[in-house]
Amino acid sequence: MQQRLRRKARSLLEQGQVDWIIGFEPGSLRFTTTPLITKDKDDTDRLVVGSFIVNNLSNFLIELSGRVAIVAKGCDSRSIVSLIQDNKVNREDIVILGVPCPGIIDLSKVEGLVARDRDEIDDIARQDGVVSVRVGGQQREFPAGQVLFDNCLGCELPTPKEYDILLGEATSPIGEPTASQETLARLKDMPPDERWRFWQQEFGRCIRCYACRNVCPACFCKRCFVEESEPQWLLPMPRWQDNLIFQAIRNIHVAGRCTDCGECERACPVNIPLRSLTRDMYDIVADLFQFKSGMDIAAAPLLTAYEVEEAEDLIR
Amino acid sequence: MAGSKKIKKQDLAQLLSQWSQEFSLFVPSRTSGLAEMTEYDGQDISFLGWYRNTIIPPKASFLPHMEEMFSFHRNKQGHQLELPPLEEQKRLIFAIRPCDARALTILDNVFEDTYPDPYYRGRRRRAILVGLGCTNPYDSCFCTSVGSGPSETTGVDIMLTDIGDELVTRGTTKAGEELIAGSGLVKATKADQKRAEQSQEAARQKVTRKVDTRDMASRLQAVFDDRDYWQQIAAKCLSCGICTLLCPTCYCFDINDEGSPEKGTRCRSLDSCAFPVYTKMPMENPRDEKWRRVRNRLCHKYEFYPMLFDTIACTGCGRCIRLCPVNWDITQILEGVPELSQAEGPK
Amino acid sequence: MAQDLEWEPRLLGLLCKWCSYAGADLAGTSRKKYPANIRIIKVPCSGRIDPLFILKALHLGFDGVLVSGCHPGDCHYQTGNYRARRRIALTKRFLEGMGIDRRRLQASWVSASEGVKFADVVSQVVKELKEIGPNKLFVGERNSDATEAQAKG
Repeated sequence: MQQRLRRKARSLLEQGQVDWIIGFEPGSLRFTTTPLITKDKDDTDRLVVGSFIVNNLSNFLIELSGRVAIVAKGCDSRSIVSLIQDNKVNREDIVILGVPCPGIIDLSKVEGLVARDRDEIDDIARQDGVVSVRVGGQQREFPAGQVLFDNCLGCELPTPKEYDILLGEATSPIGEPTASQETLARLKDMPPDERWRFWQQEFGRCIRCYACRNVCPACFCKRCFVEESEPQWLLPMPRWQDNLIFQAIRNIHVAGRCTDCGECERACPVNIPLRSLTRDMYDIVADLFQFKSGMDIAAAPLLTAYEVEEAEDLIR
Repeated sequence: MAGSKKIKKQDLAQLLSQWSQEFSLFVPSRTSGLAEMTEYDGQDISFLGWYRNTIIPPKASFLPHMEEMFSFHRNKQGHQLELPPLEEQKRLIFAIRPCDARALTILDNVFEDTYPDPYYRGRRRRAILVGLGCTNPYDSCFCTSVGSGPSETTGVDIMLTDIGDELVTRGTTKAGEELIAGSGLVKATKADQKRAEQSQEAARQKVTRKVDTRDMASRLQAVFDDRDYWQQIAAKCLSCGICTLLCPTCYCFDINDEGSPEKGTRCRSLDSCAFPVYTKMPMENPRDEKWRRVRNRLCHKYEFYPMLFDTIACTGCGRCIRLCPVNWDITQILEGVPELSQAEGPK
Repeated sequence: MAQDLEWEPRLLGLLCKWCSYAGADLAGTSRKKYPANIRIIKVPCSGRIDPLFILKALHLGFDGVLVSGCHPGDCHYQTGNYRARRRIALTKRFLEGMGIDRRRLQASWVSASEGVKFADVVSQVVKELKEIGPNKLFVGERNSDATEAQAKG
């Protein structure tokens, strides 16, 4: 798949069909990849796929002008479709290089299982449903379900539906949706007061780095509400009250466009379980309006559509 | 190494309890996977088992993420200001890494300069830094390339070297020596000192990430106006605040008033030059474009600050590399800054 | 003295100018009594309401928020209330998911001629808020000024 991708990307640039390629190249740390954004056809030799291509590259589409070929896993393709629906990107301007994805390995889970940091691990290899981790000469094997990202476990679209070129054979979902939402399920079992105290505590750690917002393809406002000073809704001071409101409103603002790609939770440097909020909103949207973002390119965005009668039981 | 003392790791808890009588003592701790320095409350010293470095840098003890500068209220005589207590506290930061201790000396240049910052000063003046030399540097550490190293003592008052079951202890400042003298520690033998030296050398060898930072200021200056170069460098940056807010040498802050004209407080909080609104003013925003912000950050650390204070404003702790969501790696970028041509030469 | 009175919930009303605000006006001119717990802000359309307003109101100390607009199909701007309906619905559920009582955010359709309905809605909402109790959601250490004011009552 990787060779095919490199050849295709190179030829797209050579033939002038696109101005930019966005994909992944090996990162500077072991078992990582990093976004490759380039106009240079020789850079395409560095493109990689595999179990570590975690970023949601659709985030970069808006800031590039010209035609773009973009490597997209299933979840990324949903974000792209969502951006097209929001008129932030034209379908004709992008070439989607679809990558069927069997799930991405979460290094923090691996680190936890082998009680070692990433730079102390010798090798991580994957063969179908088994991930082998070699540490200090010793090899241990884990079922993939134990080391993939939570949102990958509940993935609903591993193979892009919307694409120009599909670079491999379609894969099926991991099919462990329960495992993908353990924290959220635990929260749902708590009484409301306890739930609120949980979030109060979690947001005490928030440092307002805005990585969650900046890594999200659905957050594309030129001026975010937290940056407004007339009126100033939230102060930049990282008090838990303001941090919590920031995240709550961010989730409401991206409702219907969030695809549960999990990037926000991965990016958070202080380990706040943000997916427990995003996933909740995702489920609420599905339940109330039978809508799943990015699944149908012809669908209208959630908040521009309406049924004549819906949700009336919540209104007096 | 002469005059070194030592302490068994199993006796450490007792020493910390003793010190905590005299100082506000901070040790590494970990909650929900977040490692930071927190106040010692008699807990065990199990951090020795997992501690490599914290995520939140120890600068937070001196330049907190958020603090009140003063409160005010208006009465018949006009606005009255009330300052928070600014008396000098006695703090002890235990097991600070050499990179983070050195970083505090970099902050000192800024906060103890022409207009000393009373808030920072109050915490910094009588603080004792007990450094713990690294035995297991990360692959993202590059302290040896920026004038530091896993056993360097810049900024610390006491240096601890891990030799297995024991920590060799050496005072590197007068305050440190005095503290050790009063702590009832046994002398380190010549053999202990040899082991300490070996441990330090081994740690140094483990720092494999290297960047040639000679002439970096001139190299950056030479490429400063190359917009295409910087746009390419900045392409994958997200403009979040992770690298800046978690950097031990970053010190930019924002000031906000809250309340009403009648009664309120003025607070400062850490800011980030990576944010798009960082330089936003009513009329314009000089760094509206991302590449300008990325260029600024790199040049501040490796060109502008060194021009003022003769030190690179980076201590190679590697947090920015480890925590960046897109793996924007400052060492890779620095490697890629073009070498000076023969004509240019160092300035 | 504030301490002598029983706690009264403070309700923020975000009423659309064309229907609900007029309906509230009508309740007033008809001398229809309704609780004075409500403070009203006029918005051009219920679709103008960003859930940010609702959360900010709770942050400032309001015990509840009532969003009211035109009946579906009657929006002065055609579709504003449809947007509001979707937004309020998911905001209500989401806030509940975070641990906020769902009765703190209420919504109603009140037309310009429904003065009586408006009065009834406010009475019912205030009654429910009294059942839930005061909003202490955002009170805590390191308060911003807003929550400090709220804590003082």
